[in-house]
Amino acid sequence: MSHARCRMSAGTTPDLSVDLAPTNPHELRLRNPVIAASGCFGYGEEYANIIDTGRLGAFVSKGITPGRRSGNPMPRIVETPAGMLNAIGLQNPGIRGFVKKYPAIWSNWTVPAIVNISAESVDDYAMMAAILDEQPAIAAIEVNVSCPNVAHGGYCFGWDPQMSAEVTRAVRSATTLPVIVKLSPGASDIVSVAVAVEEAGADAISLINTLVGMAIDVRRRRPLLANHTGGVSGPAVKPIAVRMVYQVATAVRVPVIGMGGIMGLNDALEFFMAGATAIQVGTGIFVDPGLPIRLIDELARWLDDEGFSSLEQIVGIANDGFRLGQGPALAAWESVGV
Amino acid sequence: MAPVTTAMEKTGTSREFESQVLSVEPIMGDAVLLKVSAPPAVLSHLQPGQFFNIVTRFSGSFDPLLRRPYSVYRAYDDPSALTFLVRPFGRGSAWLAERLPGERLGMLGPLGNSFSIPGRAQRLLMIGGGVGVAPLVMLSDEAAAKNLDVVFVMGAANEAGLLAASELADRVEYLVATDDGSRGHHGLATEVVRDFVEWADQIYACGPEPMYRTLRAVIEPLRINLKPSVQISVERGMACGLGACLGCVVETTHGMIASCVKGPVFELDEIIL
Repeated sequence: MSHARCRMSAGTTPDLSVDLAPTNPHELRLRNPVIAASGCFGYGEEYANIIDTGRLGAFVSKGITPGRRSGNPMPRIVETPAGMLNAIGLQNPGIRGFVKKYPAIWSNWTVPAIVNISAESVDDYAMMAAILDEQPAIAAIEVNVSCPNVAHGGYCFGWDPQMSAEVTRAVRSATTLPVIVKLSPGASDIVSVAVAVEEAGADAISLINTLVGMAIDVRRRRPLLANHTGGVSGPAVKPIAVRMVYQVATAVRVPVIGMGGIMGLNDALEFFMAGATAIQVGTGIFVDPGLPIRLIDELARWLDDEGFSSLEQIVGIANDGFRLGQGPALAAWESVGV
Repeated sequence: MAPVTTAMEKTGTSREFESQVLSVEPIMGDAVLLKVSAPPAVLSHLQPGQFFNIVTRFSGSFDPLLRRPYSVYRAYDDPSALTFLVRPFGRGSAWLAERLPGERLGMLGPLGNSFSIPGRAQRLLMIGGGVGVAPLVMLSDEAAAKNLDVVFVMGAANEAGLLAASELADRVEYLVATDDGSRGHHGLATEVVRDFVEWADQIYACGPEPMYRTLRAVIEPLRINLKPSVQISVERGMACGLGACLGCVVETTHGMIASCVKGPVFELDEIIL
C-alpha cells in the first residue's frame, strides 16, 4: 500500500468510506469509519433526539442474548480514574423480544445497524445468528466472545483461540451476513485469537472489549459493584487498546475495528495509524454525545489539511509497512513492553 | 398496580448545550446555589423533577469522567436561567461548587420524567431530606403559582443545613426537623409528616433511600387504598442519562427500569426498596 501524500485541490472532500467485509457478498460498506459501540448506544433510538444518528458510519446494538435478561443488581456502574467500571449484566429482551421490535424500527433508518450477540454456548450463538439472518435492516452481526462458556466451566470463549474460532465457525455457517468478532483483551495472546477467528471465517475483527476490573468500597470493605467485577472502559484503557489493535492489524488480513477510550480526534487517529480500518466510540458517547459526529467532520478536515485524499492512506501508517500480515510488527522485547 | 408512574414521560426536547455560570451563592451550610444560563427552548418544556447531566471537569481533562445528574432547583424566576443546588460531596460536586461567574459548563438535558400534580389535587405534602429538597422547591413554586396548598417538610442534620424559609413561596407552609434538635422537630422529617398524611391529596418526597423506607412505614397505617399516592425522586449514579447504558436502573414491581428516562420520579408503591 502506498502512503504517498497526494496534495488535493481545495474543496475536495477526502474519502472516508470503508469496506468492513470485502470478501462477503453482503457488503458492509460504511460512508465513514465512525461507529457507535455496543452497550453505549442502546438500540439507536435513545440518541435519535440528541444527535443526527443518520450521519454515523454505523451503530452496534446493545448485547442481545438467547433469552431475556433482567441484568445485575445495583450498583452497576463505578467511576474509576479517567474511566468507568460497568457490570450491567446484559439486560436485554432476548433475541425473540429483540426481533419483534427493532428490525422494523431500523427499516426506516439509513444508518447501518449491527447487532451484537452474546451467549453461553456455541449452539446458542448459531441459533441467534440464524434468527438474525432472516431479519430485515441488519447490516452485520458483531459476536461478543467475552462470555463464559458453560460447557467449559465458564471459561471465557474469548480468552481461548480454539473456543473463539468454534463460535465464529458456528455463526459463520448460520448466516451470510457480515460477521465481526469482538475480541476480549483478557486473552493471554490476543494475536492468536485474532488469527484463529479470521481462519474460522470472520469478516472483520473489533477490539477491545472492556478489561475485567474491580473497585472496593473501603468503608464497607466490600466490592463497589454488586457483581463484584466489571468491565473497565474509557480513556484509562486507550494505550492497551492501541497496542492490541497494532498487534492484531499486522497479523490478520481482515479489517480491524479499533476501540477503547476514544475521546477526540487524536485518539481516533492513533487507532487508524495503528491499523484500524474503522473505529467505535463507546464510553465517550456517554459523556459527550456529540463526539462521534464531531469525529467524522474533524477527521475529514484533518485528512484534507494533511494532504491525504482518503482515510485508507493512513490506516496502519504507524506500522511502517508491516500492515496486512506481512510479519510481526513488534520485536520480541517490544511485545512484552521492554 | 398502577402503570409505571402517573408522572409524564420524557418530552424529547433534551439537548446538549453550553451554559454560562451567572452566580454562585452559599446556601444550606456548605452547599451553593449555582445559577446558569439556558436557552429558552430548553426552559419552555422544563418540568419539576427533571434533571440535567453536567460535565464536572475542565475541558481537556478526563477525570472525573462521567457527567453528574442534578435536578433543577428553580427555573421560574428568570426566563433564561436555571438554578441547581450543589453540595460538595464528591469530586464532581466539589468541582462544580467552586465555579465562578462567567465560566462555561457542559449541559445535557432536560432529562427524565417529572413530578405531576393530579388535576383534582388541592393539598400537597412535600418531604425533602437535605439536598433532596432541590426538585421540590421547583415543584412548590409551580404549586404556589397554581394557588394550591403546600406543606413543605424539610429534614437536615442541623440548623445550618436547613433551607431558609425565604427560599419558598409565601403561601407554602414550611416545617423543619433536625437530627440534633437545633431547630424545629428534634428527629426525622418523616415523623413530622405523620400529621399531614390524611390532610394531603398528593405526597411528594425526595431524599436519601432510607428516608423512603421510613416514609413508607410512617404513612402505611394512615393511607386508605394506597391514597394519597406518593411520588418520589430517586438518585442513581449514571453514565448516559438517556436510557442507553442501563447503569441507573431501579428495581420496580415491573422489573428493572432505567431511572434516567422512566424516572427519576416513581410511585413509592412501585419501587422495591
